[in-house]
Amino acid sequence: MQHAFEKIWPVLIVEVLTAVIIIWRIISAQRGKELFIRRIPGLNAIDEAIGRATEMGRPVLMVPGIGGFSIIALQALSIFSYIARSTAKFGNRILMPVADPTVYTVAEEVIRDAYQAEGHPERFDPDSIRFLSDRQFAFASGVAGLIQREKIASSFMFGEFFAESLIFAETGNMVGAIQVAGTVQTTQIPFFIAACDYTIIGDEYYAASAYISRNPTMLGSLVGQDFGKLLITILFVVGTGAATVAALNVPTLGEAGKWFVDLFTIH
Amino acid sequence: MLEPIVRFFAPKPLSVLPYYVAGAVLFSILVVILLINLPSRARKPLIAIVTFLAGLFYAAEFFWPIDKATNKNFLTDYLVPASKLGSLLGGMTLTLGILSLLRVHGRNIVRLRSGWYNSLALLTAMVAMVIFGLIDNYGTNATAKKVFNVLFEGMLINMDATMFSLIAFYIVSASYRAFRIRSIEATILMITAFLVMLGQVPIGNALTDWLPKDGWIASLRVENIKQWILSQVNAAALRAIAFGLGVGGLAISLRIWLSLERGAYFEKEI
Repeated sequence: MQHAFEKIWPVLIVEVLTAVIIIWRIISAQRGKELFIRRIPGLNAIDEAIGRATEMGRPVLMVPGIGGFSIIALQALSIFSYIARSTAKFGNRILMPVADPTVYTVAEEVIRDAYQAEGHPERFDPDSIRFLSDRQFAFASGVAGLIQREKIASSFMFGEFFAESLIFAETGNMVGAIQVAGTVQTTQIPFFIAACDYTIIGDEYYAASAYISRNPTMLGSLVGQDFGKLLITILFVVGTGAATVAALNVPTLGEAGKWFVDLFTIH
Repeated sequence: MLEPIVRFFAPKPLSVLPYYVAGAVLFSILVVILLINLPSRARKPLIAIVTFLAGLFYAAEFFWPIDKATNKNFLTDYLVPASKLGSLLGGMTLTLGILSLLRVHGRNIVRLRSGWYNSLALLTAMVAMVIFGLIDNYGTNATAKKVFNVLFEGMLINMDATMFSLIAFYIVSASYRAFRIRSIEATILMITAFLVMLGQVPIGNALTDWLPKDGWIASLRVENIKQWILSQVNAAALRAIAFGLGVGGLAISLRIWLSLERGAYFEKEI
């Protein structure tokens, strides 16, 4: 089992401090403070991809990866909810193959709600959300077959992907689909960059729902995230300086540097 | 204090298992009835309380100081029962997943839609795997065990391997597109990838084998350039992404834990 290592206090303090900053930014955003977030091209391309599918009269594919029900899947479903609202508006056909049964049940609810929210509940097809298989490559072959048979126009891949990511992206590329992808798996990001038109990298993935919804709570959390990263960056810079003065045995400062480095060293 | 809970969730002998299953089903039905009859205004607070307590349990278990001899704290023993609750929910939703498969492919067969025979093959394979899998686990019939072995080892594993092998071809086509020299970025990517690939193979290493192994000039040997790219440039970029993801994950976890999350299903009336 995994536990916080022996030196629990430095980690706990940094984590609690980051959490407090995030909550502080959420509260200030809820009170009406204007917040700025930079442009994310991959997320702007979502509307373009849906528009293309509408023009071509071909389906839109959404794949939430093969991971279980987690914050990653929740984030993916949040993005898919936005896509489903657009497709409900324009009357596009959607396809959403799912590998995890828990994600499947929640996904069905989310997409149904999106259609209802747009005032077109009759356009929702329960068969558009399909549980294929919870085995990695059985799911991969199922999705690849679906892409080939249905000749999808746009493909959105958000969630936890592993070796199957390239199978989806390359099959989508073969049928000429415009593809937008995002994953938290750093090993799969290069594959998506190579095969997709737009890729959401790193923490942009967690920024997606805030970027799309422009909800004050989410925007506040996003800005809080950036403050958290700033805190970690400051720790990096101070840590690098501390390690340097410790290595050079600078009088007085060297001891302080050793103490600081030791504070964050995992033995 | 919570020892009975740990014992309750421990594996049970086959003789008493049906009673536990019946009890669990009855308990689930009662919980569902209770939730359905709960007033709407009480549902969200209930979900918020359960979410907060569940999150608090895992956070406390992680941060609470441990006994060095056992590598445990007073909450560690309850991790398994807690994770089993999650597995139980997954088990229940699997039924809904199978129903989805039956609905989509059953309709294909009944209406004789194009490719209906593929749906038939899928459902037949699914039923066969379930039946022979159960016999393999609980039964004694040697022929059925052999059939399961053919289905699992002989077919499923090989089909998995076939799909996995396809990735090799997809990597070639994807990297061909990625490495085409169209911009400065693509050129840098191509050169970097070329150097890393050279450094991975003996012929690449042989190209700069004539350079001395010591001194600053040794840095120009292909294997050292590759190592520098991987351990300095690549690792730094990956760690930056990992830190961003970590903080992003913390932010979204906090929002869900404290019921601050908005959008999609979180603002829905329940």
